[in-house]
Formats: sequence, structure tokens, C-alpha cells
Amino acid sequence: MMKDEIVEVLKRTFELDKIDETISQKNCTQWDSLHHLNMIVELESVFDVTFEPEEIAEMKSFTAIEKMLAQKLS
Amino acid sequence: MTFFVLRNSTVESLFDSKNTAYSGYGDISTIDQTADIIIWFYMLPLKSNTLSLVLETEAYFNQIQWVNQQVPSHKWFLIFTLQNLYSVSYQTTDFSVELAINRFNANVIEFASKHNNVKVIPFSDFIKKYDREQWIDWKYYFLSKMQLNPRLAKAFGSWFSLQLEQIQLKRKKCLILDLDNTLWGGILGEDGVNGIQIGGDYPGNAFLMFQEYLLELSKAGIILTLCSKNNEQDVLEVWEKNPYLILLKEHFAAYRLNWNNKADNIKELADELNIGLNSMVFVDDNPTERELVKQLLPMVEVPDFPLQPYQLPLFATSLTDRYFKVYTLTTEDKEKTIQYKANASRLEAQKQFVSFEAYLTSLEMELTIEPANVFNVVRIAQMTQKTNQFNLTTKRYTDIEIQALIESGAKIYCLSVKDRFGDSGITGCIIIKRGVNNHDMSIDSFLLSCRILGKGIEVAFITKIMDILRSEGVERLSACFIPTQKNTQVADFYDKMGFSQIREIKESKGEKNYSINIVRKTVEIAPYYKITVS
Repeated sequence: MMKDEIVEVLKRTFELDKIDETISQKNCTQWDSLHHLNMIVELESVFDVTFEPEEIAEMKSFTAIEKMLAQKLS
Repeated sequence: MTFFVLRNSTVESLFDSKNTAYSGYGDISTIDQTADIIIWFYMLPLKSNTLSLVLETEAYFNQIQWVNQQVPSHKWFLIFTLQNLYSVSYQTTDFSVELAINRFNANVIEFASKHNNVKVIPFSDFIKKYDREQWIDWKYYFLSKMQLNPRLAKAFGSWFSLQLEQIQLKRKKCLILDLDNTLWGGILGEDGVNGIQIGGDYPGNAFLMFQEYLLELSKAGIILTLCSKNNEQDVLEVWEKNPYLILLKEHFAAYRLNWNNKADNIKELADELNIGLNSMVFVDDNPTERELVKQLLPMVEVPDFPLQPYQLPLFATSLTDRYFKVYTLTTEDKEKTIQYKANASRLEAQKQFVSFEAYLTSLEMELTIEPANVFNVVRIAQMTQKTNQFNLTTKRYTDIEIQALIESGAKIYCLSVKDRFGDSGITGCIIIKRGVNNHDMSIDSFLLSCRILGKGIEVAFITKIMDILRSEGVERLSACFIPTQKNTQVADFYDKMGFSQIREIKESKGEKNYSINIVRKTVEIAPYYKITVS
């Protein structure tokens, strides 16, 4: 459920048709600092949460995002 | 279409990423000459040093002039106005930054008026739609130098594309309107010519305002058409007989009043007017009709219609913003000039006339007196309910009571006033009841709306009424003044009109009773009132 929504946000942000859970800033060329922030804006509005700057800095892969959201939403 | 944006902060999330290139922050050294449109979008730096902000703002305009020299004159150079998103003022009287911003914006507007390819984008129009607290998200600002809150990015995108359309004159040409519950409240076929709600109280007043707006739109060159499921005969009749309608037959370039499918009607209208379906906007309160048109004619724009009539003014604003706004509007400008001239000449008229009479003469007043009838009875009742200041007895009536008065033999007249500056409509009325015999009558109510006071109209009106009564064989007229908290200005009205006061009976309440022999006492009406009795 949450995974699917994260996938959708990432696809929208990076304008990709397909992504999987291994995606991270290292293996995705579109994932630059600007897109990173756009992605955070999207995640904040989709999941209705706010991230602190320190958290934003950590969320640089699908796994990290998922972990952070799980913490926030629990 | 490709853009090159000159900027001093992070604006990348605001523009279409595929077609937009950006300068360095505050860098005007290179301008991408291949872009179709060059954009200047500077934000005031978010810092607290007032003096440095003022100096910075002053430098921007010089830079713009230099940039424009590098922009080929056949390419657009769009300049965003400057808007202070954040300010800390240590003194409430320190307006130096605001003034510098105003100067910059004024300079830019003037600059655009001198260079055809330069257009101003009023950024403040966008930002002012939101609360100040929403303008900046400081977290994102400190992380990325993004000044405008990224949550506003989507709204900014659609607003900016509208700005582009306006500049490219891509506005729509034609408005297709429904009638029932769109141009008036109620259903003509069921409620009848005078049963529909237009003018007067809510919701008629909301529909009236909407019609006024549409009339202005048509003056600005938008073609108005009708597409309504109604009997043509009924609509022709309402145009002819209902005095409150603003939009009449002559305002519509074409119409389809029948029971056919609206999509077919709209296609016919497009053919008849020789315009494309993609330049038409369809306005209808019925969601089923809207859905039909959306599905069958996807090129026609179909905005949602407000659920409540009081939302019509906002709907009008959004119609204009979305479909009918242009960067400049020459016809409207001309219209405005005429209005300004009229106002100016009215002021001048007051100045140059030595006597009040000469001023009244110059107004070219036309008074129309007509007996109560089915069309004005509601308005008459409404005036008795609402008029407080110029109201001799302040008796309140409903339209049904007015009807009953007429049937009991009372004479009721209403007054419409027009001068060379405009038509005020029905703004006065008098109710005269029969006395003990046919030669005796008494004024039950006499009132005038305050917007026509100060021109001696009340004197002309009542004098003419006395003339009418005299010609009908009435000899004696009695009248009464009942004081209220608001009508002191008319306490001596009947004395001034030559009525004699009868000894007060109910002294406690301050009521005054009067009587006048209208055969013996005749008064001339000043020549500057042109009076018609219909």
C-alpha cells in the first residue's frame, strides 16, 4: 500500500515509466538535488507529514524513504 | 515554445522543465538567444538590511534595460513585477523598501509601454491570492534557495500559462449562455414573465449583477449567444415586458431557443457566426447539459457553474481570468476614456454653473410617472420596506398588500428618474387613498430613494401628482407626517409644499396632519424637469 504510493510519487517526480525498490540517488540520473526537493514536497503532501532538513538529507533511496515514512506514520 | 529565465533565486520547480533554461543566480552576462521567450523573474533577496535591499532593487531596472538590448526585438521579453515576500521593519514608518519596489514596478510598466516586445507579468496578482504565511516555506528556502513555497508551484504553472495566453491573444471569442437559473432565477416557462427572479432582492440582485458583468464583457468584444430550452415566444415576451432585464435581444449575436440537443445547437451557432468551436465557452447551470457538451464537443470550454447565485461575482471573475482576459483591450480603454470624460465634465458642470437652477438644467432630468402595474408592484413594495430617510409615513407593505390597496381604489404611482449621466430606475412612489367622497383623497405614503435626492425631484413629483389628481376631479388632499428616527429631513416637507397643518391630535407621537385645497393652490413645475406620465 505505502510502497505503491511511494512508487507513484517517484515515477511522477522523476518522470519515469517504471521504477523498482532498488532506486536511489546513486543509480538514477534524474535524481538531482532539485528533483529531490520536488519529491519531498510530493511525499509531504501525499502522506500528510513534514520532514525535517536532517531527515530530508537521509531520504536518498527507496528503502530510506520507506523507513522514514514508516517511522513518521507509526 | 522555449524559455530562458533570468533569475536570482531557485525557480526551477515553477517552469516547464523540458523547455526552460536558466541563467546563473543574478547573472545577466549571457542570454540564450535561441529561446523563444526571455523572462526576467527576480525575487527580492530575503534579507533584513533595508538599505542594501533598496540599492539592489534600484540596480534591477538598469540591468533590465541592458538585457533588453540583447533580446532580439521580435522576441518577447517578459518581466515579472517585484513582490516583497518577507519583510522586517524596525520602524513602522520605514517604507523605503516598499517605495523602491513600487518604483521598480512603475518603471517596468512604463518601459513595457515603450517597447512592443516587452510585457509585464503581474506576479503580485498571483501571490496575493494566498495568505502571507504561505508565500515562503522557510525549510525549502534554506535547503534550496527556493523563495516561493514549492506547494504553490502547480498553481503558479497554470497561472503563468494563462498569462502567456493573454499575451498571445488566445482568448475565447464567444460565450454561449443558458437562460433559466443562469441569467435569472427560476424557470420562465413555469414562473412566467414577471415571476422570474431578476433585480430586486436576493437572488434576483445576484443575477442582475451577473447580467451587468456579461454586458460589460460584450462591450469588450466578447460575442454573447443563447442556447436555452425555452419557447422562443416566451423569451421574446420577457425581453419586451420585463423591465429589469439588462441583456436583451440586441445583445445576443445569435440564439437557439428550442428543445433540441444543445450540442447540435452549439454547432449551428458556430457555423452561423463563422467561429471555431474552440473559441467558445458554454455556461449552463444544469450539470447534465454541461456533461453532454463536454462529451460531444470537447473543444468547447465548459466551466462549472456556481451552486448558489451569491457565488456569481466570483464566477464572473474566474470566467474573465480563464477565458476572456487580454493583455490590452483597446475598445475597453476607449470606453473608459469616455467614462472618465463624462465624470470630468460632470464635475466641471458643477464648478462652472453659478446657479443651482443652471446646474439642474444641465442635468437634463427626465422623470417618468406611471401607475402601479404588475411589473412595478414588487419594486414599489420593496421601496416601502427599505426607504427610511425620505419617507413621510414609513408604512411598510408587501406586494400583495399593494395589490389590495389598488383594488380598494387607492391610486399608486411610481417614479423613474434618468439624467444625462444615467438611469436610476424606479426610485420613488406615492400611495393615495380615497377619502369620504371622490373629491377627497389622502396621501398614505410618499417616498423617494436617497440616491435621487438633492435635485428638487420630490417637489416636481408631488406637484405633478397634484396636477393629475386635479384633472381627475379631486379637490382636497390630506397628508400626514409620522416621525421616525431617520426621517427628520422631511419633517417640514408638507409645510414647504404649501399644505396647512391641522391641529395635532396625537401630540405625544409628534405626528402632523395636513390638508391642501389643490384647486385653489397651484404650483408651476420648474422647466428643467421633463415629466412624462405613462
